[in-house]
Amino acid sequence: MRSSITVFFILLHLLLCFVWSAAKKIHDEDFSEFDDFDEDEFVTEAPFPSGASQLPSKTQSNQPDQTKSEALSQPSMSKTTEQTTHDGVTIDDDDDLMFDEEEFEATDLFSSSSTPDFKIAEVPANLTGNRWESYHCEAIMILVLLSYLINFLIGRSKNARLAATIYNSQRDLLERKFSLVGDNGQTQTTKSTDEQTDNDVVSNNMHKESESLYVLWCSGRTLLDSMLIEIRFIKRQCLFNSLAALIKSINDMIIYTIDYSKDDMETFVFCLAKKRSAVKLHRDMNDLSQFCSERKNAEKHSLSGNYQILSEIGEISNVIIDSRVGDFINKFPDALEYIHISDQYTGMKIQNDNQQSSSSQPSNNGTTVGANGVSATQQQDALNLSERSVRRVLIVAFNLIPSNDRSLQITAETVINDYSRFVLNLADRVSLYRFASKELKAKTSKNRQRIEEQFLKNVNQQRQEQAQQRREEKRRAEKEKIMQSDDPDKQRKWEEKEHKREMKRRQPKMKQMKIKSM
Amino acid sequence: MDNRRSNRVHRFQPKFISLVDDGLSDYMNLIGMLCSMCALMLKIKFCGWIALFSAIVGFANSRVSEDGKQVFSSFMLSASAIVITYMQNPAPMKIPYFE
Repeated sequence: MRSSITVFFILLHLLLCFVWSAAKKIHDEDFSEFDDFDEDEFVTEAPFPSGASQLPSKTQSNQPDQTKSEALSQPSMSKTTEQTTHDGVTIDDDDDLMFDEEEFEATDLFSSSSTPDFKIAEVPANLTGNRWESYHCEAIMILVLLSYLINFLIGRSKNARLAATIYNSQRDLLERKFSLVGDNGQTQTTKSTDEQTDNDVVSNNMHKESESLYVLWCSGRTLLDSMLIEIRFIKRQCLFNSLAALIKSINDMIIYTIDYSKDDMETFVFCLAKKRSAVKLHRDMNDLSQFCSERKNAEKHSLSGNYQILSEIGEISNVIIDSRVGDFINKFPDALEYIHISDQYTGMKIQNDNQQSSSSQPSNNGTTVGANGVSATQQQDALNLSERSVRRVLIVAFNLIPSNDRSLQITAETVINDYSRFVLNLADRVSLYRFASKELKAKTSKNRQRIEEQFLKNVNQQRQEQAQQRREEKRRAEKEKIMQSDDPDKQRKWEEKEHKREMKRRQPKMKQMKIKSM
Repeated sequence: MDNRRSNRVHRFQPKFISLVDDGLSDYMNLIGMLCSMCALMLKIKFCGWIALFSAIVGFANSRVSEDGKQVFSSFMLSASAIVITYMQNPAPMKIPYFE
């Protein structure tokens, strides 16, 4: 589809050039009568009416032009003759006798003016000299367009090659660890590596979500449900984005997201991240902002000062950050961006405005993620479900930075297996970990209960608001219907009903006050 | 030890992808359509070229799962705006405030 669209772009360029040349040809024909002009013909002695001096405008008939040229060659003609020639009628000299000069008082003034007042119209640049040179803006536009298209093709192919390299480097490892490697979720049957059946579900490459996002789905393993590998490249296919990436120093990222089932993981929230990511995650992620109160420096755990920890329970940090994590960070400095472990993962925070405006619009899929990166789970939860739809996840994000003067492709090829092994090892440890004491369990349960109560309160509030809105709309519809019916009796009866309803609504409050006073 | 379990296979669903989309494709489509209208109705050639750029940038940043018809229609609209403005007035374009 994309290659056909690029071919179509090229064809359209050719079409534009053709149309352009056709338009130029038509224009040339309109002005062909001016090609034979000599300079001598342009004698500027007598003033002309304004209509006759507009040279570049298209002329509809040749007659006015011919009369114009006659007037130019005979500047000394009397006004009567000029008038008639302007009207397009040729008159002999004898006709002068018909006109009495005294009738035309203005001729003296006309002939006595020594400095004729000309207004010379500006000739467009494309009609003078070399016409193609005047289209320099268009040429610049076309050049920029072509350079963008060339950059698109180069950037797209580079991203595709990187994705293929990363996939091929870790394919063997993943096929040894997972039963299903690679699934686009579209066909019905699945392939497993031990069955060795030839099926078109599993592709031999990563699944392309966009020119800069490639994903690989792995499933079928003990201790976890699934692993999703996302490769988020710099948008090399877009010239502006790649320039912005240079300025902002953004790099390619690989994100491993492991989903656990309910019993596979203990209940805690933890995050180890670089400072810049820690700030963003603490601000944007629902679970981290709800369960982790502060960010601590990771220097205590023999990590560099560049890393910070967000943890619900302090003891978890010692368990998760062990010698292997330290060794990995020492071996690949700047590679690890963040580790996010949570049993209450609900995505990013919904902004206040979005929440208020979208609470009345239920989404069809319970846990779909919106296009602006905001989770719709809370929207759906607020309306329909009594439980929050949470995921139990381990998310590890790595930066793909070329190292030791190697190219990005070679770096990716050499390090990707180490990254995958690190993630799988961490995933197994998280799955096998259980709280040492019951107090920790009680503490985490208490936190979750508190958040659940808050959530239910919000849900009730939103439901009440919705019910009230519905009631008001119903009342409005009734009112409109009755007003349209043009029956004064009905209107009066309805108004009385409304009045009674309002009185009833006010009354219970008064009753409560009476009981209290007694 | 082989940890693979075929009975624990779960199928892929698009909801698992954490979309961090900046909506550039949508904005570019919108700008493209607005500029095309300006070019057609107000006969501003510069707008036509901007519309064409927007359509192409929107195409470059779009997702595979998105409908290609919208991108295609945006591109055709901008191309037609340019062709029609030049047919009406073949004079070269003047960039505002530069000439």
